[in-house]
Amino acid sequence: MTHIRRGLLAGLLAGFLMAMLNFVTDGTPGRTLPDALHWFGVTIADPTLSRFTGFFVLILLGGIAGIIFGLVQRESVITIGRSLLSGLVLGLVWWLLFSLLLTNIMNHASSPLNLQFGIFLATFPIDLLFGMVLGSIYYQLQGQPATAEA
Amino acid sequence: MSISSSANDRKKIAVTRAKKVGTITPITLSERSITGFALIRIFVGYLWFQQLFWKMPPEFAGLYSYIIRESQHTIIPGYGYILQHTFLSGCTSLLTATGCTLYVPLAAGVWIAELIVSISLMFGLFTRIGAILGSVLAIQLYVGLAYTDWIWTYGMLVLLCLALTAIPSGRRLGFDQWLAPRLQTAAHSKRLARFVSWFA
Repeated sequence: MTHIRRGLLAGLLAGFLMAMLNFVTDGTPGRTLPDALHWFGVTIADPTLSRFTGFFVLILLGGIAGIIFGLVQRESVITIGRSLLSGLVLGLVWWLLFSLLLTNIMNHASSPLNLQFGIFLATFPIDLLFGMVLGSIYYQLQGQPATAEA
Repeated sequence: MSISSSANDRKKIAVTRAKKVGTITPITLSERSITGFALIRIFVGYLWFQQLFWKMPPEFAGLYSYIIRESQHTIIPGYGYILQHTFLSGCTSLLTATGCTLYVPLAAGVWIAELIVSISLMFGLFTRIGAILGSVLAIQLYVGLAYTDWIWTYGMLVLLCLALTAIPSGRRLGFDQWLAPRLQTAAHSKRLARFVSWFA
């Protein structure tokens, strides 16, 4: 059970970080936050409400991703290498599911795998970053010394 | 005898000084401090990352007006001349990069350098390389553009990157946490690893 709680906390924190990054976006702060609602076909007319709802949905999704991360790790104490690698894999899955498939489906794109370089660049590194941060926080929460693997 | 005594005195003074120097307490960053610094690193990396999107390849069109501004408002004498007679040579317009033969290679170099900085800082991957490269890019911006904007804009960017150069912030929330101990272990036997380990 500890690993699930740890995963949940790591996911919520990583989701919070990802949501906060949206507040330093060029242009209107938080303008990309409603994308998280759009993945589920939800549209809120009020832009401010839409952004704040998107903000909390991102954190919530982060928490769910964290629980999945914790479940995969089971009760075992994991190394920093495994934690980071698992995080990257989670980030890749997140990107495939949300930034590629759901975005294309909701935008009625010609193919669910439709991809432009600009959109790839804007989403792929950030989603991997989310996974890496989640994995790293999960490792820190185990309370291991920094040089455990040295 | 007196010479010996004075030599002893000098020795004593030297030892006392050394002890005084030795009493400087090394500073160790707490877990919270380094994690906080890692968060700052991610945000600074994201700052560089976002600036890739207004000068996207293959044209890098957004960058052109800034190169022109740099060539006109630089604070270093001769810098504008170099820009005008190398990267901007052959350019026929102040608005578009028409006729500029060397503009695209320059812009591609800048874009790739900024991509490296952003990936390095966001992911904490050889963070100090990213921070040093970021410092160089920011100094270049300061030299060329500081007097066309609020002067501290680029000055602060330089200082931020220098701070990230000084502190190994990639060792939390970053790949350097995995890399650094390995490189430090390898550094005992390999000179290259000793050199590279400083960057992680």
